[in-house]
Amino acid sequence: MAAGVSQKAAAVTMGDVVPYRSPRAQRDWTSYLGMVIFLGSWAVLFAALFFSYLYLRAHTPVWPPVGSPRLPLTLPALNTGVIVLTSVMMHLGLMAIRRRRNGVGGTLLLGTFALGSLFLVLQTVVWLRMWDQGLVPQAGQYASVFYALTWFHAVHVVVGLVALLALAVKTWLGKYNAAKHGGVLLWTIYWHFVGVVWLLMFLLVYLV
Amino acid sequence: MSAHAHADSGHGAGHNPFEQHIHPPPTSFFYKYIWSTDHKVIAKQFMWAGLVFLLFGGLLAMMIRWQWAFPGTKVPVLGIFLRRSGGIVTPANYQSIFTMHGLIMIFFAITPLLIGMFGNFCIPLMIGARDMAFPFLNALSFWTFVVSLVLIVTSFFVQLGTAGAGWTTYAPLSTNVGTPGLGQTLVVAAIFVTGAASIMGGINYITTVIRLRAPGMGWFKMPGTVWGLWLTSILNVLFIPVLGAAAILLILDRTAGTQFFIAGAAGVQGGGDPLLYQHLFWIFGHPEVYILILPAWGILVDLVSFFSRKPAYFYKGSVYAMIAVTVLSAIVYGHHMFVTGMNPMLGKTFMLFTLIISVPAEVLFLNWLHTIWKGSIRLTTPMLFALGTIFVFGLGGLTGIFLGTVSTDLYLHDTMFVVGHFHLTMAAAAFLAIFGGIYFWFPKMFGRMMDEKLGKIHFWGSVVFITLVFCGQMLAGYSGQQRRLYDPFQYTYIKHLRSLNWWTSMFAFMLLGFQVPFILNFFKSLIAGETATQNPWQVGTLEWTHASSPPVHHNFDVIPTVYRGPHEYAHPDAQRLLGKDWIGQAEELPSEPHGAAAGGGAADAVAGPVRE
Repeated sequence: MAAGVSQKAAAVTMGDVVPYRSPRAQRDWTSYLGMVIFLGSWAVLFAALFFSYLYLRAHTPVWPPVGSPRLPLTLPALNTGVIVLTSVMMHLGLMAIRRRRNGVGGTLLLGTFALGSLFLVLQTVVWLRMWDQGLVPQAGQYASVFYALTWFHAVHVVVGLVALLALAVKTWLGKYNAAKHGGVLLWTIYWHFVGVVWLLMFLLVYLV
Repeated sequence: MSAHAHADSGHGAGHNPFEQHIHPPPTSFFYKYIWSTDHKVIAKQFMWAGLVFLLFGGLLAMMIRWQWAFPGTKVPVLGIFLRRSGGIVTPANYQSIFTMHGLIMIFFAITPLLIGMFGNFCIPLMIGARDMAFPFLNALSFWTFVVSLVLIVTSFFVQLGTAGAGWTTYAPLSTNVGTPGLGQTLVVAAIFVTGAASIMGGINYITTVIRLRAPGMGWFKMPGTVWGLWLTSILNVLFIPVLGAAAILLILDRTAGTQFFIAGAAGVQGGGDPLLYQHLFWIFGHPEVYILILPAWGILVDLVSFFSRKPAYFYKGSVYAMIAVTVLSAIVYGHHMFVTGMNPMLGKTFMLFTLIISVPAEVLFLNWLHTIWKGSIRLTTPMLFALGTIFVFGLGGLTGIFLGTVSTDLYLHDTMFVVGHFHLTMAAAAFLAIFGGIYFWFPKMFGRMMDEKLGKIHFWGSVVFITLVFCGQMLAGYSGQQRRLYDPFQYTYIKHLRSLNWWTSMFAFMLLGFQVPFILNFFKSLIAGETATQNPWQVGTLEWTHASSPPVHHNFDVIPTVYRGPHEYAHPDAQRLLGKDWIGQAEELPSEPHGAAAGGGAADAVAGPVRE
């Protein structure tokens, strides 16, 4: 009995010291790490933008400055709901692909694309309304912050939308499947990141 | 070393979890030299770009020095670039020249050479990987960098000329109020683009080191060079985005009319704050100083040990010191802003953190000296450059204490003392380390040795005159000469510094002159240098012991298994069993003295390639 145990222990230490992972799984892990490092880096960029906003705000006696139109709340709140929904939908899409249901997965990715586009449309409506009320980028700090942050975020949404369209097509064509879907995973993380940035933006720019 | 990829395709790479895929080498010219994903080719691309822009930045420096020696007179030779003003440096030209000298040297010379070239070339080879983790991203990083070079070069030809707001690009001078014209916008855009390229590189380096180390290559078995580059990459990835944010906001201010950095321009609604720009810039800017020196430190840790034929003294201490500097560098940026009306309490805090950095820096410094102490020193050109780097970095470090201290900084702020100080650390130390690294890795990169005689002439000329130039600047600054003055001698209190400035300029011209031996040496060796053996320096890191000179496309036929650290010299067992004073990182010690086998080294049976 004792001998058996020690033999087993020996097998563990002498044999599979490194647990076996398929080359694909290893490469996926590497890509995942790269994406996490990239988003960490990009988070600092957004943090620096938020820092700039809060710095300016802290040095201004009244915020929003006297005479500036108030930013709307309803549409951005609705948009927040949309962006949360897209994140959930994309995640479900990823799960579906993992469960070998490519058709469902592709459709969910396309749905994410559609909702993401809706987000951009609503955001454009907000921009146009504010523009009409005189809040143009040249109208001082308040406008500067509003446009710089929302524009920069919107650029990231556009990048994500282009990727989503490609992902949906590739999923339908079977280029992504249960065994091979690293690309979907990485873009899902990216999309969640863009969503979290929006939540912070809604909180800091629109709400408080 | 004629064996090729297919020779060992029967190895069953899939069974070894550490084995990496071997990609066949590209055959078309385009994929071989232009859009190459091979880290060694990309390293050379960064090298060429960096060396050309190093010369460019250097010539700009010569124009500044000319102006300070002979203000308002016709610039010889380089005057042809100032045709509109008849060969004379005008105040507007002067602004652009010193601005672009700084930006080009930092972002387009040191960064590509120290990080782009050494990072790409050394990391995969030294950790035993076939390539970077993301080869495509690597190529993308280089070509993004090229886009920024195009932007920079274009900026010289637009109306009102290139950027002129200083390398720091302080607002409001850098907004449309101070520098109207497309040139400044293009340069700020170039900084953003080159930052993106650096981030791509950083992601690649970090991931590669974490994921692709050869079996047995533990963290403390990595060469110092890899540590330096890895920590630099972390700083790059964390802090370049802050510069990116500043650049975005500045571009919006310049093009879309937003008001982040212009004070009071917005009437009742209040404008932005120029100090915000300074915060953003220095949150990035101070780590940047360490971004540019950490790879040099790492290279020094290795070179000093290699050529003293001794283990690196307290190697772990050196690594921990570099980690400590990396962490501390993030929380000291305020010492650049002592005179901005900062809360004195905050100033003192920043001063404390700044001065604390000298502790780990001192650990590194003493470790280098201890490594050299009683070593059997081989004064090869790379070693000379390493020693020169230690010397100038010591001077730069010591003079930094005066600038990190609030009371002395109030006097020295914005004087030539600052210029001399940061040139000793960022310019002198970084460049001597870069040259040391080029002399050291040239045989591996191109398969040919560089000429030692020309190398030594280059070294002595460079180290003497680079020290004299920057010490001359510090003297001028200590006597009260402000930096960035177009004609300093318009001021009565600076008039007596004229001969000092004249001498400093002469030293600068000599420094340029002594780069000629390097250029000659480089091309001569490239074309007709002595053929390099696989391991001409007799050192134990993987690129020398297991890869040919130059390495094959996939670096290693078999990924080596690492047994020990990179600095195993003067090891008695090695002496007894192998009959040489060093052991390779992936070399197994035989149980009995290995007399008969020519060339020695049991590990080579695994590696295949002949060592010498």
